[in-house]
Amino acid sequence: MTDATAPETDRSTPPAATRGRGGEILDLVLLPSAAILLALVVGAVIMILSSPLTRGGFNLALPWTAYVALVQGSFGSFDAIVSTMSAATPLVLAGLAVGIGFKAGVFNIGAQGQFLMAGLAAAAMGVATAGLPPVAAIPLAVGAGLLAGAAYGFVPGFLKATTGAHEVVTTIMLNYVAIQFLAWAVSGPLRGENVTFARTETITTAVLPVLFGRDGHLGIAFAAIAVPLLAWLLFRSTLGFEIRTVGANPHAARYAGMRPRAILILTMSLSGMLAGLAGVAEILGKVHHIPAAYSTTVGFDAIAVALLGRSHPVGILFAGILFGAMRAGSGLMQIQAGIPVQMINVLQAVILFFLAADLIVRAVFRLRSSGESASELQTISASYGGGGTA
Amino acid sequence: MRKHPGVAFMAILAALTLVLAACQSSGPDLGLCRPIGDAKAPETPAPTAAAPGSSDLKIGLVTDVGTLDDRNFNQYSWEGALRGAEIIGAAEPSNIVTTASSDYAANIQSFVDQDYNIIVTVGFALGEATLAAATANPDVHFIGVDQFQAGDDFLAGAGLANYESLIFSEAQAGYLAGIVAASLSKSGEVAAIGGSGTIPPVVNYARGYENGAKSVNPDVKVHIKYISDDLGVAFNDPTTGKSFTDQFRQQNAKVDVIFQVAGKTGNGVLQSVEEGKIYGIGVDVDQWASTPESAECIVTSAEKKLTLAVSDGIAAVGGGSPRAGNVSYSATNDGIGLAPFYQFADLITDDIQSKIDAAFDGMAAGSVDPCKPSGLCYAGTADPGT
Repeated sequence: MTDATAPETDRSTPPAATRGRGGEILDLVLLPSAAILLALVVGAVIMILSSPLTRGGFNLALPWTAYVALVQGSFGSFDAIVSTMSAATPLVLAGLAVGIGFKAGVFNIGAQGQFLMAGLAAAAMGVATAGLPPVAAIPLAVGAGLLAGAAYGFVPGFLKATTGAHEVVTTIMLNYVAIQFLAWAVSGPLRGENVTFARTETITTAVLPVLFGRDGHLGIAFAAIAVPLLAWLLFRSTLGFEIRTVGANPHAARYAGMRPRAILILTMSLSGMLAGLAGVAEILGKVHHIPAAYSTTVGFDAIAVALLGRSHPVGILFAGILFGAMRAGSGLMQIQAGIPVQMINVLQAVILFFLAADLIVRAVFRLRSSGESASELQTISASYGGGGTA
Repeated sequence: MRKHPGVAFMAILAALTLVLAACQSSGPDLGLCRPIGDAKAPETPAPTAAAPGSSDLKIGLVTDVGTLDDRNFNQYSWEGALRGAEIIGAAEPSNIVTTASSDYAANIQSFVDQDYNIIVTVGFALGEATLAAATANPDVHFIGVDQFQAGDDFLAGAGLANYESLIFSEAQAGYLAGIVAASLSKSGEVAAIGGSGTIPPVVNYARGYENGAKSVNPDVKVHIKYISDDLGVAFNDPTTGKSFTDQFRQQNAKVDVIFQVAGKTGNGVLQSVEEGKIYGIGVDVDQWASTPESAECIVTSAEKKLTLAVSDGIAAVGGGSPRAGNVSYSATNDGIGLAPFYQFADLITDDIQSKIDAAFDGMAAGSVDPCKPSGLCYAGTADPGT
């Protein structure tokens, strides 16, 4: 990081910005909102069309019942709101992980693996520090998780910087390595003594304390702090400027005296650390042990969250809360409307579809084009096989 | 960064060749299967139902990660809940399908918040969350499917009056399946394909199967393979189940009986069995009836009477005498067994049937241990397979 050569210009403007303020708002707020609205409409149509299969006739009120239950279950009471925050926490953190990658022009599909490795490390440290008071055990367990996540992000970053191995390929593969490593570690050396199936001992002193409500644990605060911190890092710091410049044009960044490879490795490590923090929050905050076969979709939902949030920390916060709310409210939706949980996946998928095919959304709502498609989508299409760092 | 497109190209080509080789043939066709003809699944006797509305108990069910219509664990537990509700005359139960390991507690809580009286939780992985909920809500009755409340385990402290665990002897059911497999195999090589070697019921099925097979033919070669330790792949991914089994059959062409112990993934195992026209044995439920597309090759299934166990539990609550602690379903109370043989019934000679009956009676009486002689039932570590 060569501060001396970094331009002295206004660092709050994205290096590649050619659009005005209006275009930014369109990209950040209007398009995602329109996509969500369209998804709800599509979801309603699916519910109505499929209602004769189980209810002996078209039920036009079904979507209303379902969406009301969904909102009640996610925002209808204090407990519901806390559940939403708790469900949103890993999504926001892992979403930030994927988002910062997009900013640097790398596509981290490995959030899943980084999540699991960090969860495993945090659980292992949490079990090992059972004799220590929480004030020592919590930082140690959280720190172990952060380190593991960062290390697991460092590997694909390093491989890409030094050999050009594409991060999409390496991170996907490392996800499988993480799954199998977790299975081995927890059925072997880290397996608890008095447990009926392969899982670690229950974590005791390193458990993140519940600060409010039923499950409002400390991990929620991690996410709440991470969002402004990352916004500051990306838009107000030299490092953030370099990350965005490398993402926009590694050749130009190099020409300007930056070191794209170092930035790349650093970004991937940071990304891994954020995804790791998501795993730490889940394991230390909610589950309190880690089983050999841990089932989660956080790593992949995070990609959706980052896309919906347009890779902007604040956007990711809202996208994470939206997806978290759908998860938290899905229980009540299933109870009261009898709508299977898969409807949530349908909604998420349709939202993404409309974001990717934003021409449809623009046509439906007669929105003008901002003249530039979203940068993270460019990352996906351009960066794949598109070349190394220099 | 210099690139080596040539190397990458060669690597891709090599990978493609492997994939194509794997696709080309899925092993030999042994022609053992038979059309199902006019065989029919036996009618389940209708429960003696109380008048609808005669009970105001609200019944909810939380599944493990997967889907409700998995034609397996979730589904048959759900049918048990439906039947239980019918027996006591309660309203139709509700369900919540779990999508991630971290959601168990929240899903159970959703039912508690809605004032449900009986909550069924399906799968050992929900044990801890169920215990916590049962402790916090003494007025709600919890029925845990496959959740062993062991003495010094985290599920101890059990002794809770509102928490019953339905336990099945998978090893016994596997043992019976093993007898059938070894008796029908012409080549003397049979296999069990399990979802994950980290899951106790899966390992117990597989090792019971091995012992059962060796009990009728000590020289039989029993392959035990596990698909993945990723739960989603292990139990919810028929495509992987099929490709795994295709590959297995290619490498082990002599195997002519395969016992699937992999939930919905195992339905893919049975599809591969169907293609190879070898004998398949289903698991947990009567898969001849639940997976009709593979019924031509399914000789029988190692059954856990899930529906019976769950509806028993609900009926007991409705009758005012809820059960508590571990409630065991085994040969002793007809809680496990083999499904009908249907179109293969004539292959099961009197000799084979008498071996099955003897083993069943022996296990019921305690004189036959399905975990012996190999002694490899789940012992606390992942089973490596053979």
